[in-house]
Amino acid sequence: MTTQTNNTPSDDVIIIQNLNKWYGNFHVLKDINLTVRKGEKIVVCGPSGSGKSTMIRCINRLEEFQQGSLVVDGIEMIEDVKNIEAIRRDVGMVFQHFNLFPHLSILENLCLGPIWVQKKPKAEAEAIAMKYLERVKIPEQASKFPGQLSGGQQQRVAIARSLCMNPNIMLFDEPTSALDPEMIKEVLDVMIELAEEGMTMICVTHEMGFAKKVADRVIFMDAGEIVEENTPHEFFDNPQVDRTQKFLQQILNH
Amino acid sequence: MQTFNPLPDKPAPAQTVGITGWLKNNLFSSPLNSLATIVVAAILIKVLPAMIDWLFISANWSGATQDDCTKDGACWVFVSAWSQQFFYGSYPDEEIWRVNLCLAMLVAIITASLRVKKELREKVFIPLFLLLPFISIAILDGSYLGLVQVDTDYWGGFSLNVLLAAASIIVAFPLGFLWALGRRSHMPLARTISIGFIEFFRGVPVLALFFMGSVMLPLFFPEGTNVDKLLRVWIVLVFFMSGYMAEVYRGGFNAIPAGQYEAADSLGLSYWQKTLLIILPQVIKISMPNILATFVMLFKNTTFLLIIGIFEMLSTTQTALSNSHWLGGHAEEGYLFVALVFWVCCFSMSMMASAIERKLNTDHKN
Ligand SMILES: Nc1ncnc2c1ncn2[C@@H]1O[C@H](COP(=O)(O)OP(=O)(O)OP(=O)(O)O)[C@@H](O)[C@H]1O
Ligand SMILES: [Mg+2]
Repeated sequence: MTTQTNNTPSDDVIIIQNLNKWYGNFHVLKDINLTVRKGEKIVVCGPSGSGKSTMIRCINRLEEFQQGSLVVDGIEMIEDVKNIEAIRRDVGMVFQHFNLFPHLSILENLCLGPIWVQKKPKAEAEAIAMKYLERVKIPEQASKFPGQLSGGQQQRVAIARSLCMNPNIMLFDEPTSALDPEMIKEVLDVMIELAEEGMTMICVTHEMGFAKKVADRVIFMDAGEIVEENTPHEFFDNPQVDRTQKFLQQILNH
Repeated sequence: MQTFNPLPDKPAPAQTVGITGWLKNNLFSSPLNSLATIVVAAILIKVLPAMIDWLFISANWSGATQDDCTKDGACWVFVSAWSQQFFYGSYPDEEIWRVNLCLAMLVAIITASLRVKKELREKVFIPLFLLLPFISIAILDGSYLGLVQVDTDYWGGFSLNVLLAAASIIVAFPLGFLWALGRRSHMPLARTISIGFIEFFRGVPVLALFFMGSVMLPLFFPEGTNVDKLLRVWIVLVFFMSGYMAEVYRGGFNAIPAGQYEAADSLGLSYWQKTLLIILPQVIKISMPNILATFVMLFKNTTFLLIIGIFEMLSTTQTALSNSHWLGGHAEEGYLFVALVFWVCCFSMSMMASAIERKLNTDHKN
């Protein structure tokens, strides 16, 4: 992984155009347009229910959408199992509630993808798993089960599990909001390191310190729309839309 | 600065602990409860001595024929004289080792798989377990293995209840899982067929199923083939059980958080990889107590087979009761014995189910 600096159009790894999604009659995503370049870090924020999770879950097709187009790493998202699986192999995802597999040890959680999806031999998969466990600084937990780890450790394992698949893009959906305050930092540190290595990241979070530190762009969503999109500096100090201002006041003043 | 000194522990008030506390809390907690305790105690005092006398004190314990039962208590000689029949039916004396071998394999595979490492369990013991019904049939029948063939008419007794129930649930294990998957499927055809099947076998009384099995199943086999009665019964039991197992699994499926599916999907696992590697193991673990409870039900239901002329334990008991050398009226002893054997088995399985449940509950907490 090398840091990308040149931004030619072919570097666009995610292209979302006029994406619309409904749950029944409820219009949850409205005309979403978003292009993400290779190596870019995007932070998505917005009030609860604004469609942040739904949007990033469309990117690896955990949610389907009814209108618009979505291209990930040059693969068009269409109704085709082959395409969906190809995109999922390229995109890692980290969830709010970790979603580790409780019946498998930490090492087995990490090896699952490399062995069954990438068809790597077991020894090689384990070597990869240990490499990433070391990167998230918990190699000594390899033989434990998820239930025996703290929330922060579980989330770091979840990040390592995604990294084992060697993804080009990482999606994070509120990775620290289920954690106790003293564990948030250890997870954010791992994410910052990952960002510094040049990973393309889309991260739903309200950790403003993180956003200021790593984000190239901050996106603010409300009622299924992208309301504002700006550099972190501009976004926090000089928001353009009144809705953004109100939201920032709420999260900064409490 | 003030120092904090914890107060010393005092003993609990005498009325709440110890024997008196227990008696007060459990037997005499209210006037109605006290009255009930006295009435029950009075009945027990009246009935118990006579029962104990009949069961043990004046019972006949040794001998070989009815004439040895001279005292007026229970004639346990009847049970001991027929014990081989009760356990093995008419399976030939010199071949009984085969029945014992099958039972031993069943117990050995189950106990071993609970103890060995996960890898060994998944690669060796679970496949062995799933093949066990077929291995057992080969051993009991014998003709495929170059042993003396023992026709299914001779199979019987309690060992048949056990083996038939085990063979049914073992096949129903995976089959029920398929029905449960079908029920959750997004394909309307698969879903409709699965729901129809599950609800049919859960809704029709098992006795009616047995009769249908004897009468209707032969219609599905090619004309002229004579399908063994026991085989037909087995098929019926497998279908019946798989319907119930599907329902048990459904509860397990519902207990699995959506995040597990999403994590599996986001790793790029295919549908079957996700189902078999992530969902199935968790469903089985969650469903274990209910699986055992369902097995207990099936196990007891195998006594219904006496009605269609399968020589399971209850029907061998009836045969013994109508034997011309034993017409002295030993029904009490016979049925009590059958009840005792089934009760011991079912009760131990219930205990096992609650032990597993407790273990799972503590597992979830850490
Ligand atoms: N499966 C569903 N069926 C119907 N409505 C849904 C479903 N999932 C989400 N929604 C609705 O869609 C809207 C957007 O949900 P989403 O989870 O994307 O919000 P969010 O911005 O991630 O909120 P939060 O900050 O609470 O996670 C919400 O109003 C939610 O109620
Ligand atoms: Mg969300």
